[in-house]
Formats: sequence, structure tokens, C-alpha cells
Amino acid sequence: MNPIRKRRVFSILFVLLFSVSGISLILYSLNSNLDYFFTPTELKDRNIPSEKRIKVGGMVLSGSVERASSKISFIITDYENSVKVVYEGIVPDLFKEDSGVVVLGVLRNKTIYAEEVLAKHDENYMPPNIEMNNDN
Amino acid sequence: MIIEISHFLSILATGLFFLVGYFSIFTPSSNSSYLSSLITRTYSQGFFFLFFSFLIYVWLAITDNFNVEYIANHSNTALPTFYKITSIWSAHEGSMFLWIVFLSLWGFIFNIRVNNNEILKPKSMGIISFILVGFLVFLLATSNPFVTILPIPPLNGADINPVLQDPALAIHPPTLYLGYVGFVIPFACAIAFLLHGDAEINWEALVKKWSVSAWVFLTIGITLGSWWAYYELGWGGYWFWDPVENVALMPWLAATAFIHSLGVSIKSSQLRIWTILLSILVFSLSLFGAFIVRSGIIDSVHSFANDPDRGLYLLGFIGLIVFISVFLFVWRLSSIKSSSVIKKFSKQSFISINNILFGTLIFSVMLGVTYPLIYEFLFDQKISVGAPFYNAIFIPVVVLASIFLFFSVDSKWSRSINFEFFTAPIFLSAVLSLALTFFVMQFFNTQSISILASIFAGSLIIFRYIYEIINFLFKKKYVNPFSVIAHMSLGLLLVSISFNSLLSTERALSIDINSTEEYKDLKIFFEDIGVENNSNYDSIQASFLVEDQNGRAFNLKPEKRRYFTRGQITTETAIHVTALRDIYITIGDQLDDGSWVVNVQINYLIRWIWFSALLMGFAGIILVFSNRAKA
Repeated sequence: MNPIRKRRVFSILFVLLFSVSGISLILYSLNSNLDYFFTPTELKDRNIPSEKRIKVGGMVLSGSVERASSKISFIITDYENSVKVVYEGIVPDLFKEDSGVVVLGVLRNKTIYAEEVLAKHDENYMPPNIEMNNDN
Repeated sequence: MIIEISHFLSILATGLFFLVGYFSIFTPSSNSSYLSSLITRTYSQGFFFLFFSFLIYVWLAITDNFNVEYIANHSNTALPTFYKITSIWSAHEGSMFLWIVFLSLWGFIFNIRVNNNEILKPKSMGIISFILVGFLVFLLATSNPFVTILPIPPLNGADINPVLQDPALAIHPPTLYLGYVGFVIPFACAIAFLLHGDAEINWEALVKKWSVSAWVFLTIGITLGSWWAYYELGWGGYWFWDPVENVALMPWLAATAFIHSLGVSIKSSQLRIWTILLSILVFSLSLFGAFIVRSGIIDSVHSFANDPDRGLYLLGFIGLIVFISVFLFVWRLSSIKSSSVIKKFSKQSFISINNILFGTLIFSVMLGVTYPLIYEFLFDQKISVGAPFYNAIFIPVVVLASIFLFFSVDSKWSRSINFEFFTAPIFLSAVLSLALTFFVMQFFNTQSISILASIFAGSLIIFRYIYEIINFLFKKKYVNPFSVIAHMSLGLLLVSISFNSLLSTERALSIDINSTEEYKDLKIFFEDIGVENNSNYDSIQASFLVEDQNGRAFNLKPEKRRYFTRGQITTETAIHVTALRDIYITIGDQLDDGSWVVNVQINYLIRWIWFSALLMGFAGIILVFSNRAKA
């Protein structure tokens, strides 16, 4: 190969190597920072490491909301299975029994310790995957 | 009748814009002076028709004309006039209408400011017109704001969502839209340039001020949105990496890279390919933002109702625009020559690196926004991408970019000679920044690499530019005010964000009436709680007397409101603002024992974050109004 072509090949290889490693780094960090979304039923048979952040969505079971000091606990249900949630802080205005909610937190001993409780800014909001069961 | 006039004017405008587009692009002699003045006049007429149609629509909203279904559904007789107007952009159809009017407004100003002799003007106007036609057809066919309810209109109307009844929100969407659609000017000129195919035409100089103006609107629009979300949604925080925030951030990042690249292309005819590509990218990302928000494809606090038709139309239209642009770009690629090789350590070399780093950020955000959609499609599993991912990418890349920026201050246009790493300003700023970082590490007892690195990078920039300013004041060395202010704002932004995440804390407390709770250095006394009645809502208002460590006391009155028409409950935060920190209180529910849940946040330097962002926008305003950079 003549020197000019050699240099060009090297620079192309360099750029290629650089972008491939950059993209792999980005993809790697994306993969390790994903939050998976589950309904209580999907959660049931799954083994989730206790340090993994997950999202769980469903309806707040009526009569399940308990408050003590600044802590609140309630049960999320998809009318088939349910899971208990513990949260410290103020729940959103749209949070109420028998309406949709999504929580973000970690699962330990079949209880979700939530760091975030979301009820959408839309009174017609339904968490994904359970719209079918709404007639109950 | 008046509704139909408004409707008809929009249709008429669509037709006129189509004529402009057709004649300017498909007529071979589009450079004849007769044709270009015809194009100018026809465009202006189209704009006036559309603008008048919008004015009538505003009038319909003010006069509570509930024959119009959209107004009936989003406005109410009890609303103050101001919110009757802003209700127009509180939902899909109206905001799309406003979006299009703004698009045509940019085109109109360009039309009257730019001389007809400008070789790229006719084709640019044609491209703007075709884009307008595309969006007007979208508006009229899939989301018509003029649909009427006949024969009997509702009496009072529904209501605008209460969280949207807010002065900041009234101006946040229009500012943001002005930013998004403003990039139609550089885009149209770039495409016109590609159509002409004459590499000698200097389209970059023509669009400089237009691009910076759009960038200013985008910067301020995003900042206003952040400020609104902070006090209105009651979560604290200034940025949530919500998909809709992300789709506003992407065009901003692309636009920032574009403006840098544009500077190089104007100065030395280098990076021209980058500049064209970026101008296409900025506008495509703006349109992509519209698609994401309008199609309801992503769940977000902002997303409007689901409608597959709208999503498909928009996706198709955006796809067409991107396809044509990229096709033209590839077709002309070989004829656009950059003048010479970029020298090591020249300003151009630093800006090239900047382009790559910004490209990385845009790619990452794009991935974060679209990956959940792809993943769900492939694996039938819902996922979301949150703050940890974005932090993992943004912190290292921004720190790296800041360090390159720091060294670029010493670099010269087109010259690599005499670049020295160990000069007095570099040495001095590095020592000062290291000292500051070390002090923060010891004093606040933190080991967090990301915070310390951001503080170091931010202060490097600030100290370096302070040195430049001192040089300017005492030695009259020339500085570019736009560059100095914009980059110092970036430094300030980094430092403020770091301190904010280092120091801010929050805690939910339960407090009885007439008792005191302590949190950090604050003594919070719960004085009273009561019900208040207002014209369109009731509220529960609590009153707290808060005393800080210096014995300064102030009242904070957070509320919970219930709006009559929708029965919606909203939280009104109470915020005590000082130079260094905000005391931010919201009330929750009453517990069985009679006490109330109260959330207290202490947010450090949060005002500085918005101040930095606004300062950055202000720098852009300086550039637009300075005479040096002639458009």
C-alpha cells in the first residue's frame, strides 16, 4: 500500500474503533440503568434482585391505604394479583383508592419500597396492561 | 358565520402557500425578479390570511363562542380573559394551530427582512411554504380546531386543566414553539443551498442571526418549563428526564452544536458538511418533538390524547422531509468542499470535537427516548429509562466538553502555532478550581466523583473567562461578549447543578396544628389550616411559621385546591426564596390522629440554575443585536 492510502485506512479504522467503543459504552450504561415495568401478576413468578429498581403499575386496592406519621402503605392490584407498597412522603393529588398508580422502587420481602409514586396528570389515566380489567 | 370565515381563511392560506412552494421550486426561472417579487407578495398574503384566521380564533375564545367544539372543551365562561386566550394552546388542536402560525410568522419576517436579490430567498420561501402546507393539511384534516357543535352549544364550557392556569405556563409553550419552528429558516436555506448546488453561495452567513434567535427562544422556553414544573407540579426538582423534556433538549443540543459549527463555516468555510447536516438535524429533531408529543406514543405528563391517525400522518410527513433532505445532501456532498484541512489546536479543531461530543449526547437522549418503544415492540416488556442513564452519559461528556472548552479559549482561528498548555491563565484557573474542588470535598465531606468533577469543570470555565474579562478591562484585549457570557453561564450552570444535587434535601413530616417540628436548621410551626373559597376553586390553606438558624422567620402558606368544573385537586406549593436556597413546602393528607403530612424541601442554588440558563439566552440576544456579526 502506498503511504497515503495506508494513512487513510488507519484513520478510518481509528474512527470506526472510536465510535464502536463509544456506542458500546452508551449501550452498556443504557442496559444497566433500565427500569422494568411489571403488573402485580407479572411480578409474581419473577425473581428480582433486591437492589434492582423496578416500576409496578396497577390500581390502588380500595380500603388498603394506611397512613402512619409520614409513611403510607397501600396495595397495588390488577384484580388478579396484588403487591404491597410502602412509601414515605406525599402521594400525588390524583392518588386515590380504585384509581391507577405507578410506583418506582425496589422489591424486598414481597413489599415494594417506593422512591416515587406517580399518578398521571390526567384523570382518565390507566396504567398500561390493565385497561381490559377496568369494568370490574 | 364568523367561525367559518376563520376556517376559510386558513384553507385559503394553505392554497396560497402551495402556490408559493410550487412556483419557487418547480419553475426553472425562479431567479427572475418578477417571479421572486411575486413569491414574496403571495407569501405575505398567505401569512396575513392565516394570521387573521388565528386572530379571529382568539376573538372566538375571548367571547366564549362555544359553538366551536375545541373552545367549548377547553375554556370556560368563569375563566379570566387571559386564560381564555391561553386555553387555545392548552391542548392538541389549538397548540398545533399556534405552532403553524408561528412557523408562518418566522417565514414572514424572513420574507420582509431579506432582500429579494438574495439568491437563496425564493427557494427558501418555497421550502417554508411546502412545510406550512404539510402542517396545515395535518391541522385541517386530522385535528381541525374549527369543528363546530350545532345547533345548541354548551352553556358554560368545560375548563382548562388547572395546572395549566398559570402565567409561566401561558408563556412557556409559545416561547418553546417559537424556538422549535424558528429553525425552519436555517433548514430552508440549507435545502435551498443544496438545490442550487453552487458551493460559492454563503448560506451560512445569511442564517446566523436567525439561528441564534431561534436558539434564544428555545433556551428561554425550556427554562420557563423547568421553572413551571418546579413550583406547579409540587415535586421540587428542575429536570425529570421526562420524554417531553428530552425531545426539547435534543433540538437544543443540536442547535447549540449547529451554531458553533456555523461560526466556523462563516469564518473559514470549514465544517460546511457538518453545518448542513446539523441544520437538517435541528429541524428534524424539532419536528420529531412535535411527533412524540402529538402522537401520544409516549406516556408523559405532557402528552395529549392518543390518536394513531395523527401519529401516522406526522411520522410520514417528517419522514418525507428527512428523506428529501438527506437525499439532497448525499447528492450534493461531493460539490460542497471545505476549504482546507483543520489544523491541530486551532479553534476549528476544538469546535469539531464539540460537534462530536454534542452528537454523542443527542444520540444518547434519542436512544433513551426511543429504546423503550423498540424494546416493548421486540420483547413485549415495558421498560423505562430514567435519570441514572442520562447522568451516566451527560456528566462525563459535559465535563470532557468543558475541559476542551477551557483549552479552546487560548486557541486561534486557523492557527496551530504557539499553542502552549502552560500559560499563566490556564495554570491560574486550574489551581483555583482544584482548590475550590478540594475545599468542597473537605467542607461538605463528599466523595462523589461526578459532583466534584462537575464543580471542577464548571469553575475552570468561570475562572478562565474571568481572566479574559480582567484582560479586557485593563489591557483592552478584545473579547467576544456572546462567547464569554454564554460559556460562563455554562460554567455557572454546572456549578449550580452540582451544589444543588450535593446539598438539597427533603423530608416528609407529620405535624399537628399548633406544634413545632424541626428539620435541619428550620423550626416549622404549624399555625393554622382553613378553607378558602374562590371564583373557580375551593382551597385548603395551611399556614406555617418557619424560622431558620439566624432567627429569621417567615410565613409559608401551601394549599390544596379543588377546581369546580373538573373536580380536579391540585397542590400549590409555598416557597420561600433566598439567594442561596429555597424552602419549599407542600401539604399532603390529614392522618387519622389529626396531624397533617407536610413535605419540606431545602433546594440549594436552584434559582442559579435558571439564572444561568437565562443568562445563556441573554448572551444570544447580545449576538443578535450586535452589529459585528452582520446577517
